[in-house]
Amino acid sequence: MTIAVAYKWAPEAQEASVDAAGRVDFSRAKDKISDYDAVAIQVGRRLADATGQALVGVTVSGPQAGQPVATKAALARGLDSVLVLAEEGLDRIGPSATASLLAGLVRQLDDVSLVLAGDSSTDVGARMTATLLAGRLGWACLTDVEQLDWSGSDWSITRTQTWGVETFKVTGPAVLALSPTAAAVKAPGMKDILAAGKKPVRPVALTDLGLERPDQGETRATARLTGPSRQGVVIDVSDPDAAAAVLVAALRQSGLLVEGSQE
Amino acid sequence: MSFELTDEQLITRDAVRQFADSTVAPIAAEIDRDHRAPLENLPAMAELGLLGMTVPEELGGSGSGTVSYVIAVEELARRCASHAVIVEAHSSLCCWPIVAFGNPEQHQAYLPDLAGGAKIGAFCLTEPGAGTDAASLTSSARRDGDQWVLNGQKVFITNGGFADVFVVFARTDPEAPSAKGISAFIVDRQTAGLTVGDPERKLGIRGSSTTPVSFSDLRLPATSLLGREGQGFAIAMRTLDGGRTGIAAQALGIAQGAYETAVAYAKERIQFGRPIANLQAIQWMIADMATDLEAGRLLCYQAADLEERHLDFAIQASMAKLFCAPMSVRVASSAIQVLGGVGYTESYPVERAYRDAKITEIYEGTNEVQRLVISKSQLR
Ligand SMILES: Cc1cc2nc3c(=O)[nH]c(=O)nc-3n(C[C@H](O)[C@H](O)[C@H](O)COP(=O)(O)OP(=O)(O)OC[C@H]3O[C@@H](n4cnc5c(N)ncnc54)[C@H](O)[C@@H]3O)c2cc1C
Repeated sequence: MTIAVAYKWAPEAQEASVDAAGRVDFSRAKDKISDYDAVAIQVGRRLADATGQALVGVTVSGPQAGQPVATKAALARGLDSVLVLAEEGLDRIGPSATASLLAGLVRQLDDVSLVLAGDSSTDVGARMTATLLAGRLGWACLTDVEQLDWSGSDWSITRTQTWGVETFKVTGPAVLALSPTAAAVKAPGMKDILAAGKKPVRPVALTDLGLERPDQGETRATARLTGPSRQGVVIDVSDPDAAAAVLVAALRQSGLLVEGSQE
Repeated sequence: MSFELTDEQLITRDAVRQFADSTVAPIAAEIDRDHRAPLENLPAMAELGLLGMTVPEELGGSGSGTVSYVIAVEELARRCASHAVIVEAHSSLCCWPIVAFGNPEQHQAYLPDLAGGAKIGAFCLTEPGAGTDAASLTSSARRDGDQWVLNGQKVFITNGGFADVFVVFARTDPEAPSAKGISAFIVDRQTAGLTVGDPERKLGIRGSSTTPVSFSDLRLPATSLLGREGQGFAIAMRTLDGGRTGIAAQALGIAQGAYETAVAYAKERIQFGRPIANLQAIQWMIADMATDLEAGRLLCYQAADLEERHLDFAIQASMAKLFCAPMSVRVASSAIQVLGGVGYTESYPVERAYRDAKITEIYEGTNEVQRLVISKSQLR
């Protein structure tokens, strides 16, 4: 049996910049394993060890995702092997096409019990790939998964909604998107880094999957920064009660505190 | 000729950076303020493999190679120089000489525990009367049947407060010329007769435990001799050759952290209606700092690469340390200058960087000693 993890070698969002016109510029951002996918790999490693399954990474992107530094970075985080579809232009396709190609990769694997994915990718952040992938595979799907364990007969899953905590039992194959809180991601260890170079990497071409190059145009992000601006309000704290009242009034006026919220 | 890091070195940098950002940075200011060692982070450092980088895989380490090792020290120092020197003293000064000069029994007895972090190492060379002139040390080890009896006083021992294993240098032949009569020993902390004194209160690296260690009729089995009798001074000097690359990396990391703080601040601080980064005075400081860092990194990685490839590296290691240590003080000072008044306060980590940087000009051979080593090689 195999647990697959769909991961992305994506530009580090914190290194992106937004210009005056709102264009998001990733050109100076270094590629890395998307933070959310690192959560999925770590949870996958724990489950694979607990259930004696293999843990295989699947990824679809441009040629940079097939470079040894990219595959080793994924393998160092705990994957046993990776299946990589890395061809020109595939880093710019949308979530729907990505999901189709990921489904093609998952079908290359034998006996997949589970596909894990990050909550979203750090660059595009569409939060759709897992759902679309489940649709392509015809499998069950849950997103925002916070806790995931094997009970011996089924996967038991917990997630928090605004109104409370939900638990699920899943028996068949499923695609699960993990919440960023599902694991505190650890850095790969020094031994894991050296071992990564000895693990198998299987490059797959679109033609191997019998698939056409998706023609979806490009997905380009624009953004408008709405960061807090300084109001320059200085509150006299010599009378703490009065100061608190002034602070609450100022927060209300700025819209940061709304009626009915905790003061 | 290639100046590119390997995949493994790049991934090591990212991994240690992630660890330093998430685990080291949050306590760096506090351990400095409280003069306390970050013992709570040692298990995580061990789990990451930071304590076994200079130990081969078959002996429990990762055998990561010297370049990856200096990158790790640099990344730790970027956030906290104390964490960096804990790893450096353990790895370069204790694990390395045991790997290089220990026999198979000593390898098995010590290295798996040291590499896995179950034990922490230290290096005892300096004495009250023997600093730069280490060959004048007076600690003695006298044979008594199949034992050695160790007496003497060591000072300024990094990791002294919590180390389990000490590599100790003592005079075994009082008749031999000074450097010739010295031998090295591996000493367990629990051995009766070993006393660790109170930690020093220091200008910087306050999260690193620096203590005196004394030996009073401490009895060692014959098997604790490291290398051959009389080889001790050579072992100490070879060990310090490698250590110097580690200290250069520490200096580099301290400077890099200070530089990044300065750049970020310069882009945000508004004076005269625009970010101070627009002022040429600030731009020139940034340019000088960046150039200093680049030069230091090239020297440091070059020395590490030579060592990793088993080529002569001692002079390059001295050059790397001689350049990086004052560079670190200079860059940290410039970083404070860029920040102005707040740079001088504890609100930003650059004042700590300035205090931490200074030690790199002193330990494992002062700047003056590096000049002696380098000039001797040039005037041969
Ligand atoms: C925080 C800290 C941690 C340390 N950790 C360790 C450790 O783990 N293990 C260990 O064994 N030691 C350790 N040391 C000791 C350190 O290596 C010595 O302090 C250093 O080698 C200098 O020796 P000294 O302090 O006796 O200075 P001295 O040798 O007295 O030197 C004083 C000054 O004279 C100069 N000088 C001396 N001789 C010459 C010369 N021939 N030519 C030109 N100039 C000269 C020096 O450069 C220096 O400027 C540590 C020290 C500190 C402060």
